Amino acid sequence: MAPSPSSQPTLSVVPLLTAEEFETACHAFLDRVHVAGDTKVGWSWIRLDQRATGPILSISREVGHVSTLHTSSDESMPDPEMNQVLQWGASEEDPEALIRAPGPSVSLQVVYDVLLSPTYQVPVLYFQLRQDSYPGPLGIDAVYQYLVPDQYRKELQSVGIMGGISFGYHPDSGTPAFFVHPCHTMDAMRHIAGQRRLTPEAYLIIWLGLVGNRLGLQLPKELFTKEGMEIFQGTM
Amino acid sequence: MDSKATLGSIQKAVWDGRLPLQITLAPSESRTYDQTDPYLIACPRISYLPSLLPRLRAFFASSLIDPNSRPHEGWFSFEGVPLKWHYPVGLLYDLYAGADPASKGGRDTDLASTTDGDPLPWCLTVHFSDWPDGELVRLDPDGIVLHDAFINSVKEADFLRNGTAKGIMTLSKEDSSGLWEAVRDVDLLSFQRISNILIPPPSQPFRNVPIRLFLPLPPDSGSPSLKVVQSPIPPIIPPSSASIAASQSILSTRGPQLQTIGSALHSLLPHLFPSRRTPVLAKPVLHGAAVPMSAPVEEVARCSGYGDGWVYIVIRMMG
Repeated sequence: MAPSPSSQPTLSVVPLLTAEEFETACHAFLDRVHVAGDTKVGWSWIRLDQRATGPILSISREVGHVSTLHTSSDESMPDPEMNQVLQWGASEEDPEALIRAPGPSVSLQVVYDVLLSPTYQVPVLYFQLRQDSYPGPLGIDAVYQYLVPDQYRKELQSVGIMGGISFGYHPDSGTPAFFVHPCHTMDAMRHIAGQRRLTPEAYLIIWLGLVGNRLGLQLPKELFTKEGMEIFQGTM
Repeated sequence: MDSKATLGSIQKAVWDGRLPLQITLAPSESRTYDQTDPYLIACPRISYLPSLLPRLRAFFASSLIDPNSRPHEGWFSFEGVPLKWHYPVGLLYDLYAGADPASKGGRDTDLASTTDGDPLPWCLTVHFSDWPDGELVRLDPDGIVLHDAFINSVKEADFLRNGTAKGIMTLSKEDSSGLWEAVRDVDLLSFQRISNILIPPPSQPFRNVPIRLFLPLPPDSGSPSLKVVQSPIPPIIPPSSASIAASQSILSTRGPQLQTIGSALHSLLPHLFPSRRTPVLAKPVLHGAAVPMSAPVEEVARCSGYGDGWVYIVIRMMG
């Protein structure tokens, strides 16, 4: 039997997380990142904040310098109708201002906040994509262009009223933020977890792979290369 | 009295509830600065502010310095605070206007009377430019963001009631958009037809009751955030906590205890609500009225929820 990551007990009610399990998972994941080496992971930072709404696992990364914030109907927006629907998001008032004002190169940064939904009792991903010196978060078109990998775009855009990404308020800061609506998370986690006994951290890692991947939050392989870092307990 | 009729009449009263609003165009956007005539309306408490925008945009058209602004670029503020449009108007008023809640018998002597003027009509400012991106989610011309926010809220309430997201998933597409249209148009009959499909019948108790509590923040806190408290609240007090209560109360030996507004507040905010029966330090306000502490939470949700199925209670400090 492989050595289990620390000695976390397995989840009480798959596919849900209790507040305690969520916190355990966040701590274990944070430890894993520190063991792998913060600089190797390639994120700007990762931290765990204790807020009135509960713990928030916060990860930031540079999306990098992009030459423009243009979202014309190029290959990144395969469906012209969808493109039209998506264009209001960032800068309805005057898209040109946002596209041209920053000059030849702007730096984008994304902050991902993982919280436990008090309604669904599963993690929920809030994120804000920001451009230096712009007060609010960037809009949904920029999210699809710079965060969502090509293979997930259609899938994410096809569900719900405005796609799998909703625009709402961050539960802690109260500021506008995008989030992935967690109403499908339970079924997806149940499906993936199957009969495995999961530790809270394994749950979080699987969830990050499921939801984070679609929003450009990839887990670096360095997190899983050291001995004793297997995420499943026992035989699978 | 037939209790079903009572629930129905309470729901009708909630849907009939209106707030007089006096809406002024932001002086900086007006050709006549602060001399623009205000727009007056008796606005349904359960409706959402953006539904007023087309009318306001038309009303203020001749006064606007920028003639190119569009209705969905409109946003509201009260005393300089941008108002979150995804909350119903009545909730925003209960949160921000600082008005004393109505209570049974109309006597409310423990609260200072309105020394700084009558809060009604509620005076709001509408803006059609300078959207506060750091504080408010932008709207779109087709109302998609507003519709999406409403449905997300409906889904959450549904999930709490059933423990699954199946209820809302079983609604036809027509009924799902019909639900939003019924709330948007304040059409109680259409709303009832669809919510009868969505909400389990009275014989089938909710798993949890969708309740959110809004706590007061100091007026000078300068934070756009409201303190919101939410935790799963079952309609029957679970046995584990009931057995603790059993040592204190002989009543609980008679069987499962109904969760009341008072017991829910006491379990979520024990410092503000030391008693389950009497408001001591704070009182719960819903639709502008003080909610009785003895009201069973499930009944409150069935008859006095907002259009999205949630009971939004504002906690008002006393004294």
